[in-house]
Amino acid sequence: MRSEKINLKSLEKNTYGKKWVKAENEKRTWMSKNSLYREDMEHASCGVGLVVSLDGKPSRRVVESGIDALKAIWHRGAVDADGKTGDGAGIHTQIPVPFFYDQVRRTGHEPRLDELIAVGQVFLPRTDYGAQETCRTIVESEVLRMGYYIYGWRQVPVEVGCLGEKANATRPEIEQILISNSKGVDEVTFERELYVLRRRIEKSAADAGISDLYLASLSCRSIIYKGMMLAEQVAVFYPDLMDERFESTFAIYHQRYSTNTFPQWWLAQPFRMLAHNGEINTLKGNTNWMKSHEIRMASSAFGSLADDIKPIIPGGSSDSAALDAVFEVLVRAGRSAPMAKTMLVPESWSNQAKELPKKWRDMYSYCNSIMEPWDGPAALAMTDGRWVCAGLDRNGLRPMRYVVTGDGLLIAGSEVGMVPTDEATIREKGALGPGQLLAVDMEEGRLFHDSEIKNKLADSQPFGDWVSKITDLDKALSKVTEKAVFSGNELRKRQIAAGYSIEEIEQILAPMVEDAKETLASMGDDTPSAVLSKKYRPLSHYFRQNFSQVTNPPIDSLREYRVMSLKTRFGNLKNVLDESSTQAEILVLDSPFVGNSQWKALKKHFNADLVQIDCTFNVNAGRGGLQAELERIRSEAEDAVRSGAGHLVLSDQLSNDIKVAVPMILATSAVHSHLTRKGLRTFCSLNVRSAECIDPHYFAVLIGAGATVVNAYLAEDTIADRIERGLLRGPLTEATRRYQEAIDQGLLKIMAKMGISVVSSYRGGLNFEAVGLSRAMCAEYFPGLMSRISGIGVQGIQKKAIEIHRHGWFGQDVLPIGGFYKSRKTGESHAWEAQTMHMMQTACNRASYDLWKQYSNRMQSNPPIHLRDLLAIKPISEPIPLEEVESITSIRKRFVTPGMSLGALSPEAHKTLNVAMNRIGAKSDSGEGGEDPAHFHPEPNGDNPSAKIKQVASGRFGVTAEYLNQCEELEIKVAQGAKPGEGGQLPGMKVTDLIARLRHSTKGVTLISPPPHHDIYSIEDLAQLIYDLKQINPRCKVTVKLVAASGVGTIAAGVAKAKADVILISGHNGGTGASPATSIKFAGLPWEMGLTEAHQVLAMNNLRERITLRTDGGLRTGRDIVMAAMMGAEEFGIGTAALIAMGCIMVRQCQSNTCPVGVCTQDEGLREKFTGNADKVVNLITFYAQEVREILSEIGARSVDEIIGRADLLGQVSRGSDHLDDLDLNPLLITVDGADKISYDRSRARNEVPETLDKQIVQDAERFLKDGEKMQLSYAIQNTHRTVGTRTSSEIVQRFGMRNSLQEDHLVVKLTGSAGQALGAFAAPGLKLEVSGDANDYVGKGLSGGTIVIRPPMISPLIASENTIIGNTVLYGATDGFLFASGRAGERFAVRNSGAKVVVEGCGSNGCEYMTGGVAVVLGSIGSNFGAGMTGGMAYVYDPENQAQEVMNMESIVTARVQIDHWKKQLKSLLQKHAVETESRRAQEILRNWDIEVNNFVQVCPKEMLNKIPHPISLNEGAIPAE
Amino acid sequence: MAKQPMLKFVNFERQMPEKRNAGMRSKDFLEIYSEFAGKKAEEQASRCSQCGVPYCQSHCPLHNNIPDWLKLTAEGRLQEAYETSQATNTFPEICGRICPQDRLCEGNCVIEQSGHETVTIGAIEKYITDTAWEEGWVKVNEPINSIDQSVGIIGAGPGGLAAADILRQEGLAVTIYDRYDRAGGLLTYGIPGFKLEKDIVMRRNEQLEKSGIEFVLNTNIGVDITFDEVRKKHDFVIVATGVYKARELDIPNGNLKGKLAALDYLTASNKLSFGDSVKQFERGLFNADGKKVVVIGGGDTAMDCVRTAVRQGATSVKCLYRRDRENMPGSQREVQNAEEEGVIFEWLTSPKGFSNNRQGNDLSNSKVQKGDLKGVIVQKMQLGDPDATGRRTPEEITGSEYLEEADLVIEALGFEPEDLTTLWDQPELPVSRWGTIKVEYGTGKTNLENVYAVGDIVRGASLVVWAIKDGRDAANAILSQIEATKVIAAE
Repeated sequence: MRSEKINLKSLEKNTYGKKWVKAENEKRTWMSKNSLYREDMEHASCGVGLVVSLDGKPSRRVVESGIDALKAIWHRGAVDADGKTGDGAGIHTQIPVPFFYDQVRRTGHEPRLDELIAVGQVFLPRTDYGAQETCRTIVESEVLRMGYYIYGWRQVPVEVGCLGEKANATRPEIEQILISNSKGVDEVTFERELYVLRRRIEKSAADAGISDLYLASLSCRSIIYKGMMLAEQVAVFYPDLMDERFESTFAIYHQRYSTNTFPQWWLAQPFRMLAHNGEINTLKGNTNWMKSHEIRMASSAFGSLADDIKPIIPGGSSDSAALDAVFEVLVRAGRSAPMAKTMLVPESWSNQAKELPKKWRDMYSYCNSIMEPWDGPAALAMTDGRWVCAGLDRNGLRPMRYVVTGDGLLIAGSEVGMVPTDEATIREKGALGPGQLLAVDMEEGRLFHDSEIKNKLADSQPFGDWVSKITDLDKALSKVTEKAVFSGNELRKRQIAAGYSIEEIEQILAPMVEDAKETLASMGDDTPSAVLSKKYRPLSHYFRQNFSQVTNPPIDSLREYRVMSLKTRFGNLKNVLDESSTQAEILVLDSPFVGNSQWKALKKHFNADLVQIDCTFNVNAGRGGLQAELERIRSEAEDAVRSGAGHLVLSDQLSNDIKVAVPMILATSAVHSHLTRKGLRTFCSLNVRSAECIDPHYFAVLIGAGATVVNAYLAEDTIADRIERGLLRGPLTEATRRYQEAIDQGLLKIMAKMGISVVSSYRGGLNFEAVGLSRAMCAEYFPGLMSRISGIGVQGIQKKAIEIHRHGWFGQDVLPIGGFYKSRKTGESHAWEAQTMHMMQTACNRASYDLWKQYSNRMQSNPPIHLRDLLAIKPISEPIPLEEVESITSIRKRFVTPGMSLGALSPEAHKTLNVAMNRIGAKSDSGEGGEDPAHFHPEPNGDNPSAKIKQVASGRFGVTAEYLNQCEELEIKVAQGAKPGEGGQLPGMKVTDLIARLRHSTKGVTLISPPPHHDIYSIEDLAQLIYDLKQINPRCKVTVKLVAASGVGTIAAGVAKAKADVILISGHNGGTGASPATSIKFAGLPWEMGLTEAHQVLAMNNLRERITLRTDGGLRTGRDIVMAAMMGAEEFGIGTAALIAMGCIMVRQCQSNTCPVGVCTQDEGLREKFTGNADKVVNLITFYAQEVREILSEIGARSVDEIIGRADLLGQVSRGSDHLDDLDLNPLLITVDGADKISYDRSRARNEVPETLDKQIVQDAERFLKDGEKMQLSYAIQNTHRTVGTRTSSEIVQRFGMRNSLQEDHLVVKLTGSAGQALGAFAAPGLKLEVSGDANDYVGKGLSGGTIVIRPPMISPLIASENTIIGNTVLYGATDGFLFASGRAGERFAVRNSGAKVVVEGCGSNGCEYMTGGVAVVLGSIGSNFGAGMTGGMAYVYDPENQAQEVMNMESIVTARVQIDHWKKQLKSLLQKHAVETESRRAQEILRNWDIEVNNFVQVCPKEMLNKIPHPISLNEGAIPAE
Repeated sequence: MAKQPMLKFVNFERQMPEKRNAGMRSKDFLEIYSEFAGKKAEEQASRCSQCGVPYCQSHCPLHNNIPDWLKLTAEGRLQEAYETSQATNTFPEICGRICPQDRLCEGNCVIEQSGHETVTIGAIEKYITDTAWEEGWVKVNEPINSIDQSVGIIGAGPGGLAAADILRQEGLAVTIYDRYDRAGGLLTYGIPGFKLEKDIVMRRNEQLEKSGIEFVLNTNIGVDITFDEVRKKHDFVIVATGVYKARELDIPNGNLKGKLAALDYLTASNKLSFGDSVKQFERGLFNADGKKVVVIGGGDTAMDCVRTAVRQGATSVKCLYRRDRENMPGSQREVQNAEEEGVIFEWLTSPKGFSNNRQGNDLSNSKVQKGDLKGVIVQKMQLGDPDATGRRTPEEITGSEYLEEADLVIEALGFEPEDLTTLWDQPELPVSRWGTIKVEYGTGKTNLENVYAVGDIVRGASLVVWAIKDGRDAANAILSQIEATKVIAAE
């Protein structure tokens, strides 16, 4: 151990000393309070894994393997600018008892060998000696109070030299307290009391006002060493770990990647029981529900000690820490680690009747009735002291590979190859699938595979008997005949009083009932935020849906519906910890939607008292009337529950001419939050009947606010009325079912967009951000809901409610026309209206700046639509002459036309934008869908029609090595403003010859863009994709497009750490070619909020200078640009305005392919009507620039750079309407200390990424690259060598082109070992990679013509088809080439493949998802949901047992035996090639008996392809279902 | 997917309802367009693109919810279409007939702008409401509330009637004063039957009367009763008198017999259509039969006159206008109709004087000529540079005069407001320098307490649709005023 003194001294001189820590802490606290930054929004993600000895015997080998593994996952973490401060890493092992006995002996004591020893790993305040002493006192007195003996404290030796300066500055004093079990209790009791002890210590410290005391572990079984060092330095920092006596049976290790840059030691993992890679999306809901569960839970497990452990989830816990806390309680209460995992993170079961055994389903059904799943991506490594397990979430969104070695170790982790193993004796190589579990019982010394452990768990209790008491009400309710409640004139009055409009009924409700789907719309939202509107807006409009981006993936609720569930349970949930049948007497429904008559029927089934609470207030109630009524509703609810009611009904049905309906969202949340606070919520169901509720968003808000079921009675009455009038197909019962279907799908979509699969975890989570709700009201009635600018309060809501009530009951019986979705004169105001558009177009046509100014003035005289409309610009100084201001030419370069795909736009419009932006040195963005290679050459007149920015979106359409090399910038579109968290679909009718060619698909066949990038499920994945892109194009910068949302700042920080160069913050009002109408309206935030947050958080973390910030979404005038600059943007995206300049007149029918002006259509006749040209667009951008320049001159600025980030130059000049509490935009206008020193250099070099093996390959392959000579190179590799072959492919494309004439094996690179992620990404023709060993995730990502061969080492004893050789998401977006892998692939094999041909010997779930081309051959078993959303290409599955079809998703595919010679030949030739390349035993066997074996294949063909393939797939055409 | 009933402009061409042939129609005063057959109306309505920004609505003074009733029509939901249309327009079937749609909704229709030819909005609007009348959906607007106040409306033209309708529905007592013997203003006596058949107007009048509106006809304010008396009788007064003072040419020999003001001529003709006896017509002066008729002016009134003359049996009908076809104020559609019916347009001509013989009087001779009018001395014109408003100013071509033979000359040169301050003895009533009443924008409020003014008397001669809009606005302003007073009283 080095001398502490020396370091202390040097630290004082250092920049990162005590002062820095203090200042930094203060800064964060202040920012959290005043700015848009919130500490609880920090995200973390990581690499995780475990090593365990199957015989249950401790050894050095285990600990050393853990340390080795940590050294090989550094690339999944991030490093601070100092190169040494990591985001945290650590290792969890058994307590090496002899080692600690020796430590006791060193203090002169003799250890009590007959008593268990416990060790507490304690972080103490390091620099505040007083506090340090207090902490020791607290710990000691609590231990003694519990009655245990203390050996003493041990200062843990640390090697501070390996720490970064920042990490060192925040380093705690790390000590161990050694305790002896002097009470002689058994190990379980000792362990439980140690847990209580730890919770007591934490509380005492909090009471003493000490925040820096942290117990990493306190246990008689295991100990955790962790900190803010780089993963490879854990054992260097803690020399204990290198001690020969330090042995363990298991090691759980973790490497963290955080969006934060302030090193906080306690945030490092592993936690006490588990280490988690991923993110819990349902944290808010889970935490809320735990508040109710814990009351009964704590007392049954801890009796008199119950109060010590509450709250079970300490305030401020991260998602992983919270999960760990609950996990720990379950374990302490006697559940085993595998059971605790099964309860908290169950696999999806409700839609998987075919795949799962009944007894498992019974077990899950039981779990579902006591606990809401903790939902989100999760790779978990956990232990309870006896069991060590690895497990995955229900979606399998994180990788977990494992090997069982010849010497009896199980090594599992995020990647394969982290620990060197002997290939010759290896026993097994596998990958966990969705929801799977791998468990080692260290006591018994036995490994349980997934089905083994689940069988064991399922057999442990009579779950089947218990769940037989669950009443599934769906059967009963399905027989009910629906009836309307209100009709005729009364219905009309109620509709008006509930804010209905003709538009809402015609455009939103009716299509849902007709099609059982939500209606599609297009373009962006240009109406005011609800809080700024003069019209009545339902309360739901103030809620913006949360969505996932970067740190976790949204889910595809359509194609992956199997993992989704709306299963809704009623009933009195008993103690989570009881394992008995009594608690399973509950009622369940398949959906929270309940029809009118169903509702009546449902009440009969309720097995407990039901109390109805009237949610109306008197129209003449004066000030405070609604508030008083809410209090009444709350106390009625509480009284009801306390007197035993099991079901509450909140209803506004009793409203009439003198009684006004309380907005049911407010009533619901008021009751839910009140009951939660009182710990009563789990004693009852909360059923809501709402007149106002009509669209899926309203349903979602109600459920998010805590509703158990929702009966939208007035919507149903409206449907009945339409049926009556012959406008809808009846009868009502069926129409209501279709409506329900649409609502259910909508709910699933809303949940899925933030990555939540299960409604029970979504319920009560308030997974929204409020824009414009009063902070005070949120605190009282919507606790936990983010509302950052305040706005309307209870009084304002009362006023609005009375207003609309009057219209209904005292006005004319005419429904208002609407105007929210499409402009109507009497409806909501829209920024784009006829005259302004006309003015702007005329200005651009005639190059008239005067007209532009008229347009701009007109825009600014609109009533406030955006938050910025409440702001004004302050001058810096006296005006300066215009000539002294930065030129128009220079300002114009900051403009970008954002990603609008060819497919949405007509080719003419797409090209016009490119040409125009290139002419002025600005940039256009290709959008998703590739670009015509003809554009890569200049036009005859010298114009460059190639977009400078090429987009990489989730569909990866047309993303080839060539495309990626034809640009200056690559943009990863993580989300889109109009529909963040959602995928897209290009309907077949829009897929013309050209588009099919560019997208490597088939004309007329639908193309699906998945909601997530399947190679970005977390932040370290994004870092990997950025790495890949920087390899394939060694010159380009990488942009990451995010959508404004609360927390986007921390995400931006993470993205900056992932080495992106540009971050684009899109506002919610960006356009779209097609999207569900409610998505356009209710997801995402204004860019003002996202941009300022990103700027603030980046500046706070000293990351701002690394990044260029860009924004888009409704920038319409020069003033908008100046304001955006002041809020932190350096570059500006102009989308809708550019379309309008080219002739768009906001017909908003992009989705229908009938754009009358030829801008947004593929129809040839309509395209002829296109009147746009590059000059108009150039004029447009010039006007923006000119106006910016004039404003700069007026306010005394000489350049745009001078005003970037100068939010202090903006002042709020309006606080909105009188009825608002307050509308406070100050959080947007905060400037971070030191931000004035940031330099904004857009021409800086890109953030470079470290080299990979390709540096060597390119050097060694000089003769090939220079002279085209055939070459063969050979290397050893390991998992830290990522993206191998990609840089080389970039060289090939530049030297030979992508459509070159090189031989398939012109350059052969032989590799031995475990290849890192993204092996052969975008590999070009002429390159062949041959791996002897295995590979990780993303093999052949975007494969562009190269060949990849992966085979086990010659000496391997493994059977290829039973062992995993390549990871998840193989061949994502591949367009051409071959992959042969002799072994199994992971999840999402060949996802969105559009041209590669591949043979593997088995695959995980979601194989061939979204595939649009190419051929996939699978020679082994497949996982569930095979072929979901597959619209092109062909697949063959070897299926001698006839089981494959069971697990396929047949929605878009048909299957047949291989019967036609053409296809037999295709299959056989691929098999032959596979056999040659990999020497696959299985392929050889099949070929040997070809004539028989060919009948064991299932051919999988997309339905849409049936009439487009050259040969039929069946002899009997009639056998194939026609589509 | 439910069937998309709209956006069919990609499938169907624009079609108007059939027009009766010129030979047939120029013999009577019936409307020239036939009705759409139901299916055709649905098909034509389905051409609407359902725009996000409906330019048709933006350019409709009443901001009719055009895309919405087009959709309802296309879906065969005519009653709802009617209700939607009626909700924003007091007389949709009248606007459907006489609005210059080519300058308003249809001219700005998005698919027209982008070269696909407009949706036939006017014809569909007419079809919807005519059907509603046939089906009996047009109901008398019984008052839904009761407000114990009264309003007197001076002028039973479209503006006054529109205001009356709304105020009556809200329960006010409404009295309308008009100097003519029938209500309807220009709808009744100004516009010829071939554009707007009279029973269309009369049935609206009847409905309004049934709703409890009191009509006091044949009553000239300032003559029969004073304006102050009207004000005293009512809580609110709306002035909706229109502009009736015809502009006259001040050129030599204007005293010759055979010269008429357009409105007098049209009124006489319309009275005849009602079967009234019209002495001036019987005496021959107002009858174009067998005469060479020259109409001076290029507005819609001039178009009405030429086509009326054709129907009365004129031997020739010519229209003199000092600008060319492109620069005329009247509707192009009407010019086309007139030409079809045999009217000859003499573009770029301006009358210099009248003549009592077929050779032409010497205009430099200042002697007053007497007797019957025999011709118009016409000056040929050319268009010069555009003026401030962008219109090109006509200039005389010297030495190009010629005589246009004429037995009847009708001057359709526009109208001016009567001098109400004097006629009504209201020096406080604010008027502009053109004689129109000054009002608050958007409400029609004058600076006389509780006195509102709407329509042409505010705007100068304008379109019926603007008068309807003004009437509705003023009515709503009065209701807001009542509401505001109530609130103040309550507090």
